[in-house]
Amino acid sequence: MFGIPRSYLLNRLLTLVLTIVIAATLIWIIPRLSPVDPAEIALGRMASGAGSVAGSDQILETLRAQMGIDQPLVVQYLKYIGGVLTLDFGLSTASFPTPVSQLIAAALPWTLGLMILSLIITFVVGNALGAFMAWDRTPKLARVAIPAAMIFTSVPPILSGLLLMWLFAAKLRWLPLTGAYGLTVEPGWSWAFVGSVIEHGILPALSIVVVTFGFWALGMRGLMVSVQGEDYVKLAEAKGLRPRYILYKYMIRNAILPQITAFALKVGLLVAGQVLVERIFAYNGMGKLLYDAILNQDFPVIQGVSYVIILITALSVFLVDLLYPLIDPRIRRDARAAKAEAEA
Amino acid sequence: MNDLTPDDPVLRITDLSIDFPTAKGVVHAVTDLSLAVAKGRRVGFIGESGSGKTTTALAVMQMLAPPGRVTGGEVILGGTDMLALSEDEMRRARLSKVSYIPQGAMNSLNPIMRIEDQLWDGVTAHEGARPAEELKRRSDAVLESVGLPARVGRLYPHELSGGMKQRVCIALGVILSPDLIIADEPTSALDVVTQRHVMQTLKDVQARIGAGLILIGHDMGLMAQSVDELAVLKDGVLVEHGTVRQIIEAPAHPYTKDLISSVPLVGGPSFLDAAATPAAAPPRETEAPLLEFRGVTKRYGDVTALQPMSFALTGDVPKIVSIVGQSGSGKSTMGSLMLGFTPPTEGQVLYEGADVSKMGQAAALDFRKNVQAVFQDPYACFNPFYRVDHALKFPYRRFGYAKSDAHVQEKMEEACEAVGLDPALILRRYPHQLSGGQRQRLIVARALMLSPKLLIADEPVSMVDASLRATILKNIHDLKDRYGISILYITHDLATAYHVSDYVIVLYQGHVAEAGPPREVIGDPQHPYTRMLIDSIPWPDLDRGWGTPSTAQEDAERLDRFARETRTVMRGGIEGFTLSA
Amino acid sequence: MTDKSTDVTPPHADGDLRAPATREERRAAKRARRFENPWMNPKLYWGAGLLLGIVALGLLGRLFWDMDSVFTGANLLKLPPVGFENLRGQAGTFANPLGTDGAGRDMVALLSLGAPNTLYVGLLASLIGMSLGIALGFTAGFVGGRVDDVIRVLSDVMITIPPLLILVVVQSVFGDVSLTLMALLIAGFVWQSPTRLIRAQVLSMREAGYVQMARLSGASTPHIMFREMLPNLVPYLFGSFIASVTTSIVTAVGLEVLGLGPQRVPTLGRTIYEAIDAGALIQNLWWWWGLPTLLLIVMFLGLLLVNLGLDEVSNPRLRKL
Repeated sequence: MFGIPRSYLLNRLLTLVLTIVIAATLIWIIPRLSPVDPAEIALGRMASGAGSVAGSDQILETLRAQMGIDQPLVVQYLKYIGGVLTLDFGLSTASFPTPVSQLIAAALPWTLGLMILSLIITFVVGNALGAFMAWDRTPKLARVAIPAAMIFTSVPPILSGLLLMWLFAAKLRWLPLTGAYGLTVEPGWSWAFVGSVIEHGILPALSIVVVTFGFWALGMRGLMVSVQGEDYVKLAEAKGLRPRYILYKYMIRNAILPQITAFALKVGLLVAGQVLVERIFAYNGMGKLLYDAILNQDFPVIQGVSYVIILITALSVFLVDLLYPLIDPRIRRDARAAKAEAEA
Repeated sequence: MNDLTPDDPVLRITDLSIDFPTAKGVVHAVTDLSLAVAKGRRVGFIGESGSGKTTTALAVMQMLAPPGRVTGGEVILGGTDMLALSEDEMRRARLSKVSYIPQGAMNSLNPIMRIEDQLWDGVTAHEGARPAEELKRRSDAVLESVGLPARVGRLYPHELSGGMKQRVCIALGVILSPDLIIADEPTSALDVVTQRHVMQTLKDVQARIGAGLILIGHDMGLMAQSVDELAVLKDGVLVEHGTVRQIIEAPAHPYTKDLISSVPLVGGPSFLDAAATPAAAPPRETEAPLLEFRGVTKRYGDVTALQPMSFALTGDVPKIVSIVGQSGSGKSTMGSLMLGFTPPTEGQVLYEGADVSKMGQAAALDFRKNVQAVFQDPYACFNPFYRVDHALKFPYRRFGYAKSDAHVQEKMEEACEAVGLDPALILRRYPHQLSGGQRQRLIVARALMLSPKLLIADEPVSMVDASLRATILKNIHDLKDRYGISILYITHDLATAYHVSDYVIVLYQGHVAEAGPPREVIGDPQHPYTRMLIDSIPWPDLDRGWGTPSTAQEDAERLDRFARETRTVMRGGIEGFTLSA
Repeated sequence: MTDKSTDVTPPHADGDLRAPATREERRAAKRARRFENPWMNPKLYWGAGLLLGIVALGLLGRLFWDMDSVFTGANLLKLPPVGFENLRGQAGTFANPLGTDGAGRDMVALLSLGAPNTLYVGLLASLIGMSLGIALGFTAGFVGGRVDDVIRVLSDVMITIPPLLILVVVQSVFGDVSLTLMALLIAGFVWQSPTRLIRAQVLSMREAGYVQMARLSGASTPHIMFREMLPNLVPYLFGSFIASVTTSIVTAVGLEVLGLGPQRVPTLGRTIYEAIDAGALIQNLWWWWGLPTLLLIVMFLGLLLVNLGLDEVSNPRLRKL
């Protein structure tokens, strides 16, 4: 495919499948290690609603059958894996009998939108700044000022989120405090709604961007410094190429490659950070769903959300791995080039 | 001397001085250097690392690495004062007026750009945007002029061999027909056959465009075969400058004399003084040969590194056996097999009759005690975490020779002195505080201290400055002569093998091309491959032919044919070593 | 540039060297000295200083402050720090110089217990994670073959799984955990990076000349691993350790902010959780959530500085002259 070697493709595919299976298995095994019976929790919740429940043993059995936990573990596991692969996580216990997948489907677009926006912004801004920090033609002032802006690198986004929320929402009241859109607008394709969504998205996105761009910038700076010492950059200078051209075509193009690999390794942590940001902003995405589920001890939802987020992470890593050979010819074996070499 | 002060030179350097501020003070890298290069003339800059030869050349292009700076003098290229040019003017002058062919061709091309793109961007940076057809025509033409087919333009650097990459760099250097080409050791990483091909190509295209050429190097032989004039630099000072014949036949400066005499020649006088009565081999307990290969083959995946090989080294009389080959010949694989670092794919490596790969713990320790090595890279051989004496002390204790700390110390000092090092200055230092030559001698001292029965010396001098090579080889030779240690000398250098060894094996792509005593194999080669190798060596002898670009190209092409041919030419034998084809 | 150095006698017998004289040259010489001793690095000092400050806060708090006021209802509720007023018009008092939280717990006591607890989780988790990583990395690099394949694939897979989400499942099932158990759980997710790093380093070091020399010297495998290789890995290990302390604390704080983790032990994350839950942001109780946030930022800043300093130790090219 596009000249990507088959072994590379298979290798990446294996990693993807293994990630999904291992994550799903972990999520399945852990609750089984607990002495708590989910059926009893569900019963307890019913009891607290209705005062007392008659014939509780019978109800417990019905509940167990409904949850499928009366069957042998192997059967449960296989059923579960089958369900997970078709994105069927059973029914929510808190808002019984809504399917978990329905809850996730409602929350997912918000999370994905925020994620794509903030990840792309941080990656682009961070790498651009890192490249300019290392470039010896960048004005000295900028080279001093940029690192100063990086003081918050490695601070998790929840903390920056809290500060931004306090400053811009609670104190200055420039932007809304919580939610993904205003309570007064009707969801739909109206200007009012879109405006409200953008207004509500700024702070969550910003709290991720301000603390993560520095990670990319610092990494890029290190890579650029290494690339600057490479023979091919020295030869490019000896060729009398324009400095800007050398910066883009010789330095950034090479230095960005390990950053893309790093992106694949980092995306999990970034997504986890975003989940927490959604929680403090009560943003209508997966983070809020997860937090509410934790409060309500809603295990199917917790499992489903965790699994779907891991799935998104694994898929983005896979996507990056697929795109990588397109920008690095050393991995791509251009069929024509291989043929030409064979003729030589 | 009229040649040396041309009326209208391409390049005139007058009283150039360059300084490098460092932590310990200012280093004068170049002092008051004056020199001129005439149109179409080739001038060699020769000297050791740190002599200022590259620094001078880079100053012409205003490409000194910071914090280096020119403190005086002027550089005039084609009537322009290069040091007065603004940054943008200098950029325009590069490649179009003065081009640079770098040393490390392996990494000098942008790995993610096609070759032709890297030729085109050089053109458009100086001439502005050009129609695609014109660029294509010009890149194809320039590739062809360095003997590369046009299709190479579509490839990426990782798809080319080292020699091809170096020729791409030459193509780049001549694409705008500059007035001056600066070639910085352009062949230092290449095999002799490829070296000759690349060098002949460079001379050919340079002559065609009529540019001046500065060739930077440290190899007197290569200079003799490549340049018209020679400038000898030492510690930033031009000590001698003249026509190449003048300098080689009648060197005036003692340093130049040293440089010339340090080049070992096949058939020339030996740099070794053999001991009157060679030492006897250490006493042996078994009848079995010291080291034996029985049908040893080594394959890595589909690649056969070593074809079936059998030999026996009895070890009753100390001998030096040389294994000569270019990169990829399998010579280092042989070294690794002998040391038990890699197991053979087929066959057995036997030490005193015991299979090296199946030894018990006690036998393995005894094997280690008696089979030692000197490796190519003296920089890598010392653990940067420890002082250098760790490398000597540790094995001495481990092998149970040490009686007390004082005893170890005494032995270390003895060994240092035997290789000409001052123990007080050396032993308590960290590796980065020693020079490459000092480290390599220390490794030889280590071998001496452990006095094994067999020493594997894998390219022991290829990374050491030329002037020290003879000394270190002498140290190694002494191990045989004075201490009776048998040595397997692995090298790419036929000339040193000629002088040092009792028997020579020439390897090509994993099989033996020719084997026998050095006077027969190297002095009078019969196998066409051996003959080609010897013809490709550049000698510091102006009357010896070095072929033409076309013969060099033919030879490079003939290499492939040798790979398919597995004929071995067996010459005379010696006592104590038998090779069975 | 004018050269004022001509009248200075060279300090070395070697005529090539002379003392740096101009101001610029002296400055260059100072930078160059720093270049030669990488551990003399201001970033390292500052970073280590900030982290020690957190530890000092814990020690001094325990020595000089009444730790009993950390309990619910020990003081008036929602008191502001000294010099401020809360919405109810109460002024801060010296009895609670940094104010109290919504349950009347003293902030000084809360922070001097919580901050070291958070640091403890991070350090313990990454110590265990590092040890696992060193063991697995060396095993993969030395044993090779199938074992290497398994370790490599497993660490590749586990590195893409965000620890937070698995731990959310774990802790929501098990409920309250102790600090140490939390650290153990996190440790299960911070071994991948060190494993990958050490494996790569071991693979390249195995071919290094000094390792071959050690083998020639009859060195045992443990000797090669621990005496020849490990000392050279130290800057990398430090860097990797600091990075995993950061990851561990981020994960711990994340869990705490979701209301998981230790329920009865004060930690910075737990305090923030309680503050957000009680609407401290809208009520302008900034000291409640702001002070723990500030301490966490100081902690991360310290870790970042140490890490940057270590980067410069192990990558000399970053130490720009």
